[in-house]
Amino acid sequence: MIKYILSALFAGIAVGYVNNNYGNVFANVWISDYVFTASLIMLLFVMGLAFGIDKESITKLRQTGPRILIIPLSTALGSICAGAIGGLILGISPIASATVSAGYGWYTLAGPMVWQIFGAEWGALGFATNFLREILTIITAPVMRRVDKYAPIASGGATSMDTTLPVIVRYSGSDVLVASFTSGFILTAVAPFTIIAIASLR
Amino acid sequence: MLNFSVAELMIPLVAGIVLGYCLRGTKHVGFGKVTLAAILVLIFSLGFGIGSNNELLGSLTKVGLNAVVLASLTIVFSVVFVKAVRKLIRLQ
Repeated sequence: MIKYILSALFAGIAVGYVNNNYGNVFANVWISDYVFTASLIMLLFVMGLAFGIDKESITKLRQTGPRILIIPLSTALGSICAGAIGGLILGISPIASATVSAGYGWYTLAGPMVWQIFGAEWGALGFATNFLREILTIITAPVMRRVDKYAPIASGGATSMDTTLPVIVRYSGSDVLVASFTSGFILTAVAPFTIIAIASLR
Repeated sequence: MLNFSVAELMIPLVAGIVLGYCLRGTKHVGFGKVTLAAILVLIFSLGFGIGSNNELLGSLTKVGLNAVVLASLTIVFSVVFVKAVRKLIRLQ
């Protein structure tokens, strides 16, 4: 199945590039906004349906309970540590690169915020790094699933509540739906604050 | 990830869960093909958004290598942390 997903991704990139740079055949918003939103809303509905029909889903959710919160918490800590260590490895400011990683994949937030704090060069890194997190999550989902049921959720960070949610549920199963949505939601909510907090350490 | 309000995402999700709950016990419906088709449409339009975003493509060519290293490290550490803590508290 990953073949189809990757083909769709690269076909989309190619068509989007050609359309944008060689004579706008259709308006970009049509595909990247309307079609995207419509398919995401439909997927959320169908995933909810599959979750609701499953007799064991709620029992499983009760067993896990509030402990599910350790997923976003560990993901946030892991991301920030990785950013600092990555900065040291690459020979760039570890605080700035930890700020970049604290976007948790939300590139439309991390890009502009890091740009404002550290300047254009870092803004580009914040944008690209968090965008790649989303793409790598989609590409590596089948492998991650073998590492751990929750690994694709950790990988997805803030994106595990929308863009990467269908792919995560596809591989990890319906019973991670609520865990994935909750984790993505919490990381989305804390991302602006952790970005500012880490940036203030410089 | 794009900017959605939480309500926009929650409404279809909760509606689906409630309807699914009501439909319990009825004959099982296969979602496999429908969801795969919708996922492919979603991923295609995601790719389209990337391909048509010159600012994003520009940032990738400028800081590509650093971004790949940082993104990979971030993913690996997040997964390792979650897996370790999950084992520690014996989360099913």
